[in-house]
Amino acid sequence: MPHRRSAHPILAVAFACTWVLTLAAHHSFAVFDHTQTLTVTGTVTSFQWSNPHGFLELDYQTATGATRHYTIELTSINMLSRAGWHSRSIKAGESVTAVVAPLLSGEPGGLLLQVTLASGQVLTAPVPGADTFKRTPEKVLK
Amino acid sequence: MTPAAAPSLAALPVLLFLWVSASPAAAPQAAPNNQAGAPDITGAWERVGAGALGGGQGTDPRNPRPAPPPPLKPAFLTEWQAAQQAAREATAKGQPVGSNWVNCLPDGMPGMMQGPFPFEILQTKGQVTIIQESFTQVRRILLDRPQLSPDEVDPSFYGRSVGRWEGNTLVVDTIGIKEHVRYQGMPHSNQMRITERIRLVEPNVLVDEIVVQDPVTLDKPWAFSFTYRRLPDYMLLEYICEDNREYIDEKGLQRMRLGGPERR
Repeated sequence: MPHRRSAHPILAVAFACTWVLTLAAHHSFAVFDHTQTLTVTGTVTSFQWSNPHGFLELDYQTATGATRHYTIELTSINMLSRAGWHSRSIKAGESVTAVVAPLLSGEPGGLLLQVTLASGQVLTAPVPGADTFKRTPEKVLK
Repeated sequence: MTPAAAPSLAALPVLLFLWVSASPAAAPQAAPNNQAGAPDITGAWERVGAGALGGGQGTDPRNPRPAPPPPLKPAFLTEWQAAQQAAREATAKGQPVGSNWVNCLPDGMPGMMQGPFPFEILQTKGQVTIIQESFTQVRRILLDRPQLSPDEVDPSFYGRSVGRWEGNTLVVDTIGIKEHVRYQGMPHSNQMRITERIRLVEPNVLVDEIVVQDPVTLDKPWAFSFTYRRLPDYMLLEYICEDNREYIDEKGLQRMRLGGPERR
């Protein structure tokens, strides 16, 4: 088979290319801040298993005791599923701590990078090009 | 069937012989739409290469793009370069220009073959069907059928594809892609023609060599190829744009709708 030999170098290069530059899923993740992360602790009002993206909706308490809402986008559920997540990974009513890349617009929303569940289990979100989001010292949303 | 018309048991071997003789494997020339002797490419595949993560972890190769820039004619090149530059600058500012994906529209051809997610190939009589998991994209390649002229085809996202097996290579001709369905932003006319040569280079490695031609917008054919690896145990997942919160604002920029009390 004349093509047999040429396939090996192709694959070798292909599999070596695990580095990823700017990646987009359903859309560009450029709307999120790549230079800092934010930590949000709150009560899950819903964990929405849907496409084009999943969503984690949280209510959190401000320093003055007021309740505010924060919307956290996830990747497509297909990517979550391939990474071992499922629709029951996070439950409504659960208290969780999420590390997000906040929206550059300043609106109360961000992209999920990691979440710690009430059980202590830590789930990492399968964000393409996750290493392009700089993790900064914990800054808790109040 | 009445008892009198039912074949007797004694006739069974003869009937079996006739059935086997008439099967595609025994007489490929008798059934032009069969795929007897064609390589088995049925199953799930995932693109590997630049931008693809591989490993069944979900490919997402939108960028970097594996094909070189399209060799556009000067009249189209200037505008294309300006649009690409504007898109890069907007992304750098955190205000990406909205794309079809933001509106939950699929890639169409040939972008679908770049495959952000795994895809599935089905070989059935007279047809090869390719299902891309993202946006549940489906294209049908009609085997051994004549191609129409571009003026006879209603434009669509996947166009009209006809194919034939040339030895171990599936050669596919596609026309009739909507002009706003653009791979890498390449402008095209209704004269655009996509030729693919799809073949196994290893039992579990598939290559799609693609050549795009358009006498109106391209200086010369635009050639690139994608390489895929077989995912023997993978079953494609559903993908429905059920709750699309992204939108393109009045400035053409991508935005995200928030959840919260007003949505509950």
